[in-house]
Amino acid sequence: MRERLSFYVKRESFLHHLNPLTKLTLAFGLVFAAFLSPWYWTPSFFVLFAIIPLSFIGKVQREYFGAALRLILPAAGFLFLMQSFFQPIGVKVIFKFWFLDITQESLMFAFTNASRIFVMVSSFTLFLLTTHPSELMSDLTRRGLPSQFAYVIISTIQIIPQMQAKAQTIIAAQRSRGLDTQGSFFNRIGALVPLVGPLVFGSLVEVEERAIAIEARGFTSTSIKTSLREIPDTRFDKMFRWFLILLVIAVIAARIWLS
Amino acid sequence: MAIVNLQNVTYKYPLTHTPVLSNINLEVKEGEFVAVIGPNGAGKSTLCYTLAGFVPHFFKGELEGKVEVAGVDLKSTPLNEWVRNVGLAFQNPFNQISGAKYTVFEEIAFGLENQGVPRDEMNRRVDQALTMTGIRDLADRSPYSLSGGQQQRVALTSILVMQPKILVLDEPTSQMDPIGTREVFGVIRQMAERGMTVIMAEHKVEWIAEFADRVVALKDGKILLQGVPADVLTSHLLAENGFGTSRYTSAAREALKFNLWPKHLHLPTTLQEAVDGFNLTSAPSPKERGE
Ligand SMILES: Nc1ncnc2c1ncn2[C@@H]1O[C@H](COP(=O)(O)OP(=O)(O)O)[C@@H](O)[C@H]1O
Ligand SMILES: [Mg+2]
Repeated sequence: MRERLSFYVKRESFLHHLNPLTKLTLAFGLVFAAFLSPWYWTPSFFVLFAIIPLSFIGKVQREYFGAALRLILPAAGFLFLMQSFFQPIGVKVIFKFWFLDITQESLMFAFTNASRIFVMVSSFTLFLLTTHPSELMSDLTRRGLPSQFAYVIISTIQIIPQMQAKAQTIIAAQRSRGLDTQGSFFNRIGALVPLVGPLVFGSLVEVEERAIAIEARGFTSTSIKTSLREIPDTRFDKMFRWFLILLVIAVIAARIWLS
Repeated sequence: MAIVNLQNVTYKYPLTHTPVLSNINLEVKEGEFVAVIGPNGAGKSTLCYTLAGFVPHFFKGELEGKVEVAGVDLKSTPLNEWVRNVGLAFQNPFNQISGAKYTVFEEIAFGLENQGVPRDEMNRRVDQALTMTGIRDLADRSPYSLSGGQQQRVALTSILVMQPKILVLDEPTSQMDPIGTREVFGVIRQMAERGMTVIMAEHKVEWIAEFADRVVALKDGKILLQGVPADVLTSHLLAENGFGTSRYTSAAREALKFNLWPKHLHLPTTLQEAVDGFNLTSAPSPKERGE
């Protein structure tokens, strides 16, 4: 069974010690600013002067570049190609390919969009790499997020790999009884049917038992919950969050001003 | 004064007509270790859920009679207050993991966080509990990466750390292999030695004989008999009613037919008693055996 169930990488860094809400604001702030900015270069600017430096500040550059090269860049590149070929805007043709005209406008448009996506996935990757999920949830519950809501989110994140493992076990069991799970498309779809029963029914029993287990440990206690981990929220955190909010507002203002 | 007091308890699950528990009377003194045995469907789990408050508060249904733990009445107490006094662990260790925590240490602290225990005290209590149950070396592991026996010990530790007045265990080793079973019983032995009040449904009779002060035999929701392990576990009533018996008892009972077990001795329930008894019987020579 896999030991690591989240993206979180345990390191000592400035980014790791920021308050989770500050990091969440940072991620959303960069995304909003990248998407709402009127200038095509804003997302690239963020990549060079925010995302990449932050990955070093958080000491997760190796993990981040790994993800960026293997996943984020290919995805953004694909989006760029699709949009530059199939975006019927602009008149200034700079490139002809078979029956497709590539205009300067469509190239520009595709570049902005692809880099926006790049910023979005990158900010959340950095966020997940440097933020412990339980810390995030404890912090948000402390700020008034209902604990039931937090529990559902965090346990779902953890349960998915467990469900996958269980599905594998059931498939193996059904196959040993002669079920054909390979071959044609319809064969495979058909093979899913006997999987659903045990998986869903088993899960219902499990949900009931889990509910009993957490109730037995005082989950619905009326006391104000405390948290094992100390989650710092410094003056710097608060100021930085205001700064990010102002940044997004400024970008929106610029957009309205220029249109 | 009994810490657990059940009087004429009868219970039906919702939408059913036959009671799963009928007219149960049970008193447990502080520090007593009571084992509940019975065939499948006898109502052991239901009895455990009743003590832990989930019957009737979670399962609903119809509960008659009186259930009291530490002087508190079940029907008039909400579940979230009731669980402060009663700790519950059950069969499947996997389903007892909260799913919200990433290390064993955090997992064990979960209940204390819910109760609003201050951080310093929380760290200290989790530390103590880990030492007591001997799983300190698992503290930084993910609860999902553990074996069944380890997970069950984590579940027990998570309950113990909350310092309940009584502990209810529903066949905590039924899904374990022999190694897991031994690990988990190691922890249970600790609790028995510390004078914890424990009520445990269990079918592994050999282990019960070692721990229990009293055995309650349940059949079709009724108490068939109860008493000290040596009496209850060797009673002919058990064998006649489809209960599992200790292999040592069965062996001695067979041996008795051939005069190979000393008549004046009680039937054994543990390995040691069996060895002692069989040693007293002078082994017959091959000639006597007709060879
Ligand atoms: N949630 C439920 N709803 C209805 N009947 C149940 C429920 N749970 C258990 N029962 C029934 O109650 C009886 C006793 O079950 P249980 O307490 O689980 O016995 P044991 O643990 O001794 O095997 C069984 O006949 C079972 O079918
Ligand atoms: Mg049961």
